[in-house]
Amino acid sequence: MTITAPGLELRQLSRELEGRRLLDGLDLQVAPGECVALLGPSGCGKSTTLRLVAGLDPASEGNVLLDGEDLTLREPGERQVAMVFQSYALYPHLSVQGNLELGLKVRGVPAAERRQRIDAILDLLQLGSLRHRRPAQLSGGQRQRVALARALLRQPRIVLLDEPMSNLDAQLREELRPELRRLLCGGEQPVIYVTHDQQEATGMADRIALLEGGRLQQVGTPRELYENPANRFVASFLGRPAINLLPMAHRRQLGLRPEHLILGEEGPLAARLLRREWWGHQQLLWLESDQGPLRLLTSAAAAMPPQPRLSWQRRHELWFDADSGARLAP
Amino acid sequence: MKLSGAKALLMLPALLLLVAVFLYPLLRYGWLSGHASSVLTGLRPVPNGGANWQRLIEDVRFWKDAGQTLRFAFCSVALELAGGLGVALLLHQPLRGRGTLRALTLLPWALPTTVMALGWRWILNDPHGPLNAALRSLGAPSYGFLTTPATTWFFAVLADVWKTMPFVALLLLAGLQSIPADLEETLRLEGASRIQILRRLTLPLLVPYLSLALLFRLAQALGVFDLIQVLTGGGPGGSTESLSLYAYLNAMRFLDFGYAATVMLATFLLLAVLLGVGWLLLRRARIARTTGGPA
Amino acid sequence: MPLRRLRAGLRRPPGIPGPLAVGLSALLAAMLLALGVAPGLGRLQGAAPQPVPIRALMPAPLADAVAGPVARFNAKNPGVRLEVIRGPLDTEAISDLAISSLLLGEAPFDLLLVDVSWLAKYVAAGWFTPLDGWFGPEVLAAMEPGARLGNSIGDHLWRMPLTGDTGLLYWRTDLMDRPPRDTDELVAISRDLQRRGKVPWGYLWQGRQYEGLSCVMVEVLQAFGARWWDGASGATALDSPEAVAAASWLDGLLRHGVSPASVAGFTENDALQMFAAGEAAFLRNWPYAWREIEKADGPIRGKVGVTTVVAAPGRQAGGTLGTWGLSLIRGSPHPEEAVTAIRWLTGETVQRQLALEQGYAPTWSRLYDDPELQRQAPLLVVQRAALQHPEPRPLTAAYAQLSDLLTRQVNGMLTGQEAPAAAMASAQRQSLQVLRSMVGTPAAAGTGP
Ligand SMILES: Nc1ncnc2c1ncn2[C@@H]1O[C@H](COP(=O)(O)OP(=O)(O)OP(=O)(O)O)[C@@H](O)[C@H]1O
Ligand SMILES: [Mg+2]
Repeated sequence: MTITAPGLELRQLSRELEGRRLLDGLDLQVAPGECVALLGPSGCGKSTTLRLVAGLDPASEGNVLLDGEDLTLREPGERQVAMVFQSYALYPHLSVQGNLELGLKVRGVPAAERRQRIDAILDLLQLGSLRHRRPAQLSGGQRQRVALARALLRQPRIVLLDEPMSNLDAQLREELRPELRRLLCGGEQPVIYVTHDQQEATGMADRIALLEGGRLQQVGTPRELYENPANRFVASFLGRPAINLLPMAHRRQLGLRPEHLILGEEGPLAARLLRREWWGHQQLLWLESDQGPLRLLTSAAAAMPPQPRLSWQRRHELWFDADSGARLAP
Repeated sequence: MKLSGAKALLMLPALLLLVAVFLYPLLRYGWLSGHASSVLTGLRPVPNGGANWQRLIEDVRFWKDAGQTLRFAFCSVALELAGGLGVALLLHQPLRGRGTLRALTLLPWALPTTVMALGWRWILNDPHGPLNAALRSLGAPSYGFLTTPATTWFFAVLADVWKTMPFVALLLLAGLQSIPADLEETLRLEGASRIQILRRLTLPLLVPYLSLALLFRLAQALGVFDLIQVLTGGGPGGSTESLSLYAYLNAMRFLDFGYAATVMLATFLLLAVLLGVGWLLLRRARIARTTGGPA
Repeated sequence: MPLRRLRAGLRRPPGIPGPLAVGLSALLAAMLLALGVAPGLGRLQGAAPQPVPIRALMPAPLADAVAGPVARFNAKNPGVRLEVIRGPLDTEAISDLAISSLLLGEAPFDLLLVDVSWLAKYVAAGWFTPLDGWFGPEVLAAMEPGARLGNSIGDHLWRMPLTGDTGLLYWRTDLMDRPPRDTDELVAISRDLQRRGKVPWGYLWQGRQYEGLSCVMVEVLQAFGARWWDGASGATALDSPEAVAAASWLDGLLRHGVSPASVAGFTENDALQMFAAGEAAFLRNWPYAWREIEKADGPIRGKVGVTTVVAAPGRQAGGTLGTWGLSLIRGSPHPEEAVTAIRWLTGETVQRQLALEQGYAPTWSRLYDDPELQRQAPLLVVQRAALQHPEPRPLTAAYAQLSDLLTRQVNGMLTGQEAPAAAMASAQRQSLQVLRSMVGTPAAAGTGP
């Protein structure tokens, strides 16, 4: 057996159902206290991964290890996993307090200790005043906090969050992000945070694991994925507005991010302005060039030259194989 | 709440329907129960004061039947709920051929009661029925299942449970399917056993469905008629006669419509009181069904 | 074309008793219509030679039995088209069906084949038209004494009898030389045969809580000198010492194992099946049982004798009268044609055929003297003997109640819930209660409205 680092390790984790591979040989390590965002388009296997880690579904191949200990065949209740579902899964028939208490009761925690721990967590999340409300009487954000509180009470060895903020509006999501990080990350437990929102992934996670079609595309810090994408999918999934892909000779594609294009009177590409989107301090320009349509992000103050041409720095060039999408050396 | 004119107008058809199918017969029974209307009046209703009600109060048979009907209804419904819950939990499991199994479970429910009761009567026949044939092949003597009050009652309940449990099971299955899977999964992650999940989560969330099944089945069981008429004819010695059967006999055999209406109305009042109490009790147990998600 | 009376249908049947009866009736009546009555209703009337439709409701076995005679009737009477509606086999079921249609007002039939036990109730309800206008006293006089009973109420004739059936005693010719003369002998022979292992059981009869048990009770009460119903005083006498003795005897048959405990759940057919399987020495049943036994290739075929029922020593025995007859529905639009049909169906030709083919007892005395019939219908002699002293069931409009509560009590006794004396005392008490609730009514006293 290989010696493993502390933390969570997924080895060749796979799930096959009715002849379809929902997850295909996922290798991933999450260090204690580290928060890894599982990112990818809808249906790529993010929830599947979480359910395998939690033990809610059986893995068809591969292993789940925690601090070197193989959890693959353990019952979900024995894994000490806390999971927050996208729906929050609050028990509708119980008050906030009842929701927090049920798990403790089930595990046989004595009443006095239950009370003390619930009080502490209600304080921490400022939920005290909602203690006796039913889930139906809470706002979306409040429900999310209750679900979080319930997960924390589990004293988990692994924290799994499945799109915990997708039901909240954009503003609330941004507000809650630091709080979530403060509560969950940097402790003892490895955290896997599922999202399909790259901004949230960048904001929350230490590293991002990008999935597509049940396969891991790349894992690394947000910056690594942005600057050095492993393939065309990673390059286009990360970064908004999306990267421009220009067809080049020898069945190659040149990727240039909109923010890296320079608008001026000189440069290799001539362009014509189609439309302008104003983004506050920036503007997005929709251009037509010989190589097809292009997006360009520039300062809101930038003026449009009479004969606009586009240029860029060599180091920003990303080259891909036009057929496989594989990254090519420049 | 105040009804606006348009709203009241829109509700009028429903109201009329309610009056026609519900209130009118009740009022009619009430009216008829104050009359003698039998062969001795040439079937014409003749006011007789409270004679029918006086007779009802003194009618030992009515009260005996009332007791028998209540006992039958409570036992049947209790067994149906327990058994139906078991079947529903089983059918909720991801089993192979679950669809076929669910369809099969419904068979007894789809069978007409009369046919079902005739079937049971044949099975229990002494000495020609298959159950007694089985007994004899084991060397035991035949047993009068339908000539012993206790076993007759038992098999009447059993037949009713057999017939209506599928309905309860399906209703509860719908309830189980309405419970989001992630609730149970969350509790499983907390380390809860199956029993704990059932007790702490599934059953509380099934309360609305259980109470619906309870009220519905109780109303049906208190009005039990064809099963008893065909299976036991009220026997042996009247020990399984139900109130509906008694009312039916008064109307269709004795042509005593005044008294039949009185028995019918008394049965209805009994049922209304029981269901009212049940409904009040269950209303307090009503719960919010939101699990989270968008407010 | 015969003269038509004015539409008798102008006289509507009395007050419809509200949603209760209508609700119960609608379903059954719908069934009746589905039996093929509906098309006839829409038929054109008045146009040149349309035959007058006459419909008769009968229980299935009798409907089948008269199919041939009905066809011949239609051939002979081009002005009339007689149709027989095949009702359910069970006596109580066909009564429920008939009542349901009658309660709805316009019954979809003109003639009803009526069991002797229903007549008083139907007459009191005002559903029949008396037949006196068509059949004088001389008609019944030409019938056997038993067949004359149960057709007249008050001063009117309400029913023309078609069959003269009574309860009979079946015995095993292979197990004894002659049938028992009284109840004591019946029990003694039974126990002797049982002791010697010839048969598991002695005597089989009908003990289920239903009308059949009342028929048994009528015979047993008579056999012990008790009377269920006193027509003169309009009261029951079920708690008399004789009546209790009768009930005790019946109860004793079970307690002492002469009859199996299962008779407490037996109908005619249950008892017949067991007897036909050779498991008993005696059977109480109706005439139809003989053909069933002889028809089937069972172990006792050809080993069965039929005789009249027996009484306690020194008492007069009488079989229960179970006759069927045709009554005319009040409001029938074609009473003349309907009576023509009654005349034919209850006439000697048809009764002769029914006796020959089905074993039904005729009602006409002349048929019993017919040598050919005597040769071919072996039960005829016994049937005639039985019709000399038959026992009718109480001829009162309250009969349905009285019968229902007596069978409840007696079946309760047979199933060990009550002792004979207590059961009969309770039956008497309840009977008087029912009769009291009908006090002062001509219906209860057994006279017509
Ligand atoms: N029970 C199941 N049976 C069959 N296929 C399933 C099942 N559950 C999920 N899948 C399939 O597995 C794939 C991955 O599903 P998964 O739920 O992991 O996606 P996801 O990445 O979480 O998507 P989303 O962002 O929409 O939640 C999908 O194609 C889905 O259709
Ligand atoms: Mg998902």
